Amino acid sequence: MGQVIDRARRGISPTPFGVAAALICTLPVLALIPLGVSGGGAHMGHLWDTQLGTYVRNSAGLLIITTLGTLLLGVPTAWLTSRYAFPGRRLLVVALPLSLAMPSYVSGYAWMSMTAAGGPVYSLTAGYFPTTSGLFGAGFIFAISFYPYIYLLARQAFEYSGTNSFEAARTLGASPVTAFFTVSLPLARPAIMAGTALVAMETLADYGTVDFLGTPTFTVGILRSWISFGDPQAAARLALILLLVTLVIFGGERLARRGAQVAESGGRNKPQHRVPLSGRWAGITILICSIPVVFGLIVPGTHLLTLALETQPVRSPAAAFWGTMTVASLSALIAALLGLGAAYAARTGGWFANAAVRAAHTGYAVPGAVAALGVIALLAASQNFLDMLSGAAAPMVAGGGLVALLFAYQARFAAAAIGPCESALVRITPSMDQAARSLGASPWAVIGRIHFPLAFSGIATAALLVFVEVMKELPATMILRPLDFETLAVSAHHYASDERLAQAALPSLLLVVIGLPIMMLVSWLVSRRETENAAL
Amino acid sequence: MRFGIIGLFVATLSLAACGSGSSSGTGASEGDMLVVFSSRHYDSDYALYDAFEEATGVEVRTIEADGDLLVERLKADGARSPADVIVTVDAGRLWRAEQEELFAPLVTDELDAAVPAGMRHPDGLWYGLAKRARVLVYAPDRIDASKLTGYESLADPAFKGKVCVRSSGNIYNISLVAALIDRWGAEKAQKWATDVAGNFARDPLGGDTDQIKAVAAGECDVALVNHYYFARLMNDEKNKNLVADLEVFWPNADAGVHVNVSGAGVAKHAPNPELARQFIEFAMTEQPQRFFAELTNEYPVVESVAYKNAALETLGEFTEDPISLAKLGENQAEAQQLFDRAGWP
Repeated sequence: MGQVIDRARRGISPTPFGVAAALICTLPVLALIPLGVSGGGAHMGHLWDTQLGTYVRNSAGLLIITTLGTLLLGVPTAWLTSRYAFPGRRLLVVALPLSLAMPSYVSGYAWMSMTAAGGPVYSLTAGYFPTTSGLFGAGFIFAISFYPYIYLLARQAFEYSGTNSFEAARTLGASPVTAFFTVSLPLARPAIMAGTALVAMETLADYGTVDFLGTPTFTVGILRSWISFGDPQAAARLALILLLVTLVIFGGERLARRGAQVAESGGRNKPQHRVPLSGRWAGITILICSIPVVFGLIVPGTHLLTLALETQPVRSPAAAFWGTMTVASLSALIAALLGLGAAYAARTGGWFANAAVRAAHTGYAVPGAVAALGVIALLAASQNFLDMLSGAAAPMVAGGGLVALLFAYQARFAAAAIGPCESALVRITPSMDQAARSLGASPWAVIGRIHFPLAFSGIATAALLVFVEVMKELPATMILRPLDFETLAVSAHHYASDERLAQAALPSLLLVVIGLPIMMLVSWLVSRRETENAAL
Repeated sequence: MRFGIIGLFVATLSLAACGSGSSSGTGASEGDMLVVFSSRHYDSDYALYDAFEEATGVEVRTIEADGDLLVERLKADGARSPADVIVTVDAGRLWRAEQEELFAPLVTDELDAAVPAGMRHPDGLWYGLAKRARVLVYAPDRIDASKLTGYESLADPAFKGKVCVRSSGNIYNISLVAALIDRWGAEKAQKWATDVAGNFARDPLGGDTDQIKAVAAGECDVALVNHYYFARLMNDEKNKNLVADLEVFWPNADAGVHVNVSGAGVAKHAPNPELARQFIEFAMTEQPQRFFAELTNEYPVVESVAYKNAALETLGEFTEDPISLAKLGENQAEAQQLFDRAGWP
């Protein structure tokens, strides 16, 4: 401990965090490379000749539909709830992110069974509401499931950035709409982009939903080359190609953004003063903010609730509930630390730290099952290494402990924490550091008294995202969990994959039930911070 | 910086040590614990585990995951694998686990007598537990049943725009076509798949239950599904009206109805091979075999077992395709290629 403080006085190097995050996130992906380059290429030729075009078309189409959909649902709701005061705002602030707690495949099953011929929505609308299927069906499900990524990050940015510049623009005669598009939106762009990146990677990596809704994407192709062709090598290779494409897309975005570094300067930002709305405008605002909640949470949730109420649960979900709580909260904690460290590394470190953090993002774009394959391959390799070092006495690496599982979660989701942490730190200008340091504050004091309070909502958001992600994770949980260890997502999947939506309803609803207090807690902590900052 | 990296290294090592600490309890099975790696997750299996625990006092602990991930995990764990018994839902998966040499042979006269020769591996690497049949479900008021003969009926031009099937990546479809390749040869199977895809009422969507519902709702007239999804709806108070007007057609023509099997084998590195043998033998006794029929609507592999299941009784007898189940695994890749060429999504 003494050593740490001593180090702190000399200045802190967050680079090890960046490197740790990068190692955890990239090693499983790197483990796919030897797998990917081994094996023959016969299968690739077949794919090229037959379904590759369809896969790529569907992936690209889905990416466009989902991105547009989540932006349309996420950005306006974030803006309205942070900028305006209207009845029900507090409730909506908490309710809007909850759709994320519903696994998208459960949402997909629920919507599809409601809208298919014979389902309740089908009968209610006399068949005019289209069946949730195909490209647009899957895009719809992803939009209503993933918009909270954008909502959460954009809201966090709007809460802090908007006021001064937005009001200045208004004073200079800009209309609210002009001021939004020319001032507030560009300021929130890093946050919105971080959210969009998460949405895009989730969309590209999803298997369960698109397979069920009949939209074979590239990821379906990846999983088929493994499941049907028994060729995990080809699956690894295709996953790496998908990853490369994703990296190019987001690398391009970063390059494009490079010239437009924005950090609000000049004085402390006042906490958001919300403009009160009433009458017609309040009504319209409530409507806009309710739509995503209705489609993403209330309608499928009600359907599941009806099913759950009329179904006798086969096994008590208590064990699965605690299993989920354990792994999700542990992972959220680890990811917040890791994400914050990595974000610091990217902020203060040199090119090496930066590259490491960029690399850490990659794990997210790999389909879950293939990512699990990478973790298994890595664990096997380290097992061999340990065996080589110490012979039969070596401890077992993969053997069903929680550690392997927690490692797999970080490998997959640490990227979800880095983004929000980074966009939270963007707001803290170098001049703040310089001012604090010149007034004699130690680096730790700068972090504790300036960075942490300012970045708090970002860190909380990061932890929340990882919590929710881990709560829903399937392939790695299934294969790496300790014996008899259950989570809600696993039991929901068991029933859903056996086409017993009614039995899957209870564990799925419990996921939302867990999400609710967590959301409220985070939202309360964030608003408390806001008041504290205001009093600062 | 240097401190950081060394610290990181130490942390990683201590994490690994932690891992070994927490796993040693589960990694080395004790005398009275049996570890089952299963890709089945049905109520009948939980009943089987409970019954085995009760009968023997041995504690059953499980890992349930999709078959392909199970295979990868078993491969990675190697000689340290805690698994005693491996259970999968499909003959193709059994075949793949066999190719990866994950099973240890188990030869007992008792099992050989109980399980028909077609339902087990010739060298005792695995034994079937329960069977499922791929059948046609149709609406008798819209389809002339005399036009139905076997699987080839789905390719009949008379049914253009009337057929519902789930997507081709699904293992049930792959196993069926793997069997059809063996039955008809690749060329005819290819033509069949192409013609069936041409008869689709809609793009493949949802699972087998959704195909049945689509026939009930009039979206299509005939669907290809596993029998137990239909039986489950028949036996369910809430859903039996849904299928009241539908019929199951047994595609007996040619070689007979395609049947797939769930099976179990002793893991090659089983810490407790003796318990594993006991477990598999126990699974073939009357009560567990009845569980498969009564709780999951599957057909028990042990033919002498009597069970009570109203839906299975109504569905009646059928002729089983006598194909060697290993073919389902061998032809799997070719089946998916054939689907891809047929444009069956």
